[in-house]
Amino acid sequence: MAEPGPQRGWFVFGFRGFAEPRGGGARRVEPEPGGIRVVRPAWSYTGLVTGRGRLVLRGRLAGALPGHCQDLLPSESHVLLLRGAALEAWARGAGLCGGPAWQQQLHPGEVAGPLPLAPRGYVTPRPPFLCPLPPALRAQKLVLGHEHVVLLGRAGTIYTWGCGRHGQLGHGGLEPVSEPRLVEALHGMPMGDVAAGGWHSVSVSEGGDLYVWGWNESGQLALPSKALAEKRAPAAASVSQHEEPCAGEAELKLVNHEAALGAEAADFVSIQAFPALLDLPEGSEVSKVSCGSRHTAAVTRTGELYTWGWGKYGQLGHNDTASSDQPRQVGYFPANGLMVEDVVCGPWNTYVGAVEK
Amino acid sequence: MSRPSSPAGLATSSCPTADQVSAVNTVWVDIRALLPNTKEDLKLDFSKKVEESVISLLQQARDLLYGAGSLCSGSTRETCLQVSEIIIDYSWEKLNIGTWRDVDKDWRRVYSYGCLFKVLCMCSEQGTIADTIRVCDMGLLMGASILDNILVRIINVLQKHLTYGKRSAQEDTKESQRKKIRNDHTTVPSIKSEEVIPRLHCPSLEHFRENYMIPQKPVILEGIVDHWPCMKKWSLDYLRQIAGCRTVPVEVGSRYTDEEWSQTLMIVNDFIDQYIVNKNSIGYLAQHQLFDQSLNRVLTPAKLVLVIGRKYIRLYSPQESENLYPHETQILHNTSQVDVEDPNLVKFPKFERAAFQACILTPGQVLFIPVKYWHYVRSLDVSFSVSFWWL
Repeated sequence: MAEPGPQRGWFVFGFRGFAEPRGGGARRVEPEPGGIRVVRPAWSYTGLVTGRGRLVLRGRLAGALPGHCQDLLPSESHVLLLRGAALEAWARGAGLCGGPAWQQQLHPGEVAGPLPLAPRGYVTPRPPFLCPLPPALRAQKLVLGHEHVVLLGRAGTIYTWGCGRHGQLGHGGLEPVSEPRLVEALHGMPMGDVAAGGWHSVSVSEGGDLYVWGWNESGQLALPSKALAEKRAPAAASVSQHEEPCAGEAELKLVNHEAALGAEAADFVSIQAFPALLDLPEGSEVSKVSCGSRHTAAVTRTGELYTWGWGKYGQLGHNDTASSDQPRQVGYFPANGLMVEDVVCGPWNTYVGAVEK
Repeated sequence: MSRPSSPAGLATSSCPTADQVSAVNTVWVDIRALLPNTKEDLKLDFSKKVEESVISLLQQARDLLYGAGSLCSGSTRETCLQVSEIIIDYSWEKLNIGTWRDVDKDWRRVYSYGCLFKVLCMCSEQGTIADTIRVCDMGLLMGASILDNILVRIINVLQKHLTYGKRSAQEDTKESQRKKIRNDHTTVPSIKSEEVIPRLHCPSLEHFRENYMIPQKPVILEGIVDHWPCMKKWSLDYLRQIAGCRTVPVEVGSRYTDEEWSQTLMIVNDFIDQYIVNKNSIGYLAQHQLFDQSLNRVLTPAKLVLVIGRKYIRLYSPQESENLYPHETQILHNTSQVDVEDPNLVKFPKFERAAFQACILTPGQVLFIPVKYWHYVRSLDVSFSVSFWWL
């Protein structure tokens, strides 16, 4: 049944399971009756909640669950559901049969969500499923990285905790933090949104400015990455050189490597332990941001989508498999007369909500 | 679909062009002979921590390997390569979550299997041998032992097939002579008699074991280089020959706490080019098991250091740890805060009491450092040290 008004839809690019070739361009997501309201991608499958409140799973774990569902948090081991007045964790191996492996009833008046936020704490899609939070925090949004947590408070303040080995906590060091700690560097500047990748964190100010911190090993912070620079350098340290020797070539290789390690070493960033301001091209203001394991995607207020970071599985949406440490606009959308409204990143892919202009 | 294999193993699989392929691709034949005979023998047993989706990928790669035609067909190989890359990339993420100690050993094994399948794809396509060795080395560096250390055995086979470039030993020596190796005019520290590390000339292995290795006492061994075939002719040429294309961890920077200190992975040839022949910064070959195939005695864990060039070395027993003010941070807790040859005794008063043994290690000498001993090393001239573990 055709929806009235401009056509809205979801699109996806990147890793889509094991049978599909890498690096294919963007593809429309098969619509559902009532439209797709929520998109929650895991690594090998994606959970969708339709406009009619039904849960649909696509990918390696496929199927639908009868009954109502408001939201979900999928992982490779479990699917955590918010259904009716309960939070349920279903083991993935069982293929969503039997019953939930864990359950928590919501008391009358209690509200959960947006997931992972839950009454008096937050949920994770793996045991112990429910973790407590100090109520004084008054959380607005909470996001999970591979080994850290980022929380956006009601006043626009940001708290982080967990493992800090890759600078993802934004406190300036590499030490772990066991309790929610205020990110001092951003205090006083109200934030409107947060996102967490595997080992990096991103926040958007109310004014539309983007701040990034954490690991930059694939350029996911849009800061200069040594690994990417070496890949781009024509005579980078490639062992095959030794099998086709030529004095001139060997010397050229040495010079490039020296240049990378010597004078320019100071410019490369592997770990950014404090938030850094990131300007998008044309000074665009950001409305929404999302992170995959090692890439980042941002939607501007004028409906463009920018991506950067790890691109090996086509998750940057440029129809190739190159990684990038510079934000690049995804041309697919303007080329097809589409305005981007929303973005949700899975670990190795990117889902985009767009509407016809 | 897989047929029972012949006693000769996979080498005589049902691949239609087996004769043509094996005639040209002797690497593939030699490598495949190292694999278990049947699919069932290549066990993929993992704890519940390894998710079902990953197990099925490993099974898929294994099925492609042992299936009809094996990896001889382009499309089968291409699929297997893609699956291997996915396994490697996914497990790589697991290996980077939490500290090294937190990582479940099974994820490291998964990573090694990913590298194994990728290596097999590269071999069947006659990829660059050096690149293939590089993948094996990543599996060894970050993974855990699988299939009776198959990655090491594969490297041994690959190295035999490696053709060395025109850059022969002679050219190397000429190049070394052309580039002057700068001599550091550094001060040679004096060593008091009570601090000297004892020296043994040509001890028997048993004597060394009984009196130093088992009681965990440091000692310098002399003259053994000539007797151990694997350590003859320690020269840059020889090192290039046997390990030139191997990947090793290298620590760059003179102290762990330097801002510029970092650990990076390098090809040995590149390391020699950059830090030995063309010395532009301090490079130190981090301990790494390069030459495991040559050491076939099983002994207690120990670290041996062999040098080219001279090194001033101080050893502090683990009992002195309290006097050495180790860093409290997680990353540097194996490092003392004290600058050993210029200690700040106001800030670190107990350091003065710390007892130590010292030596100037010269080429041809091997220093035995017992487990958990603190060691301070300062190069007195351009030096290159290789430290390795005895298992």
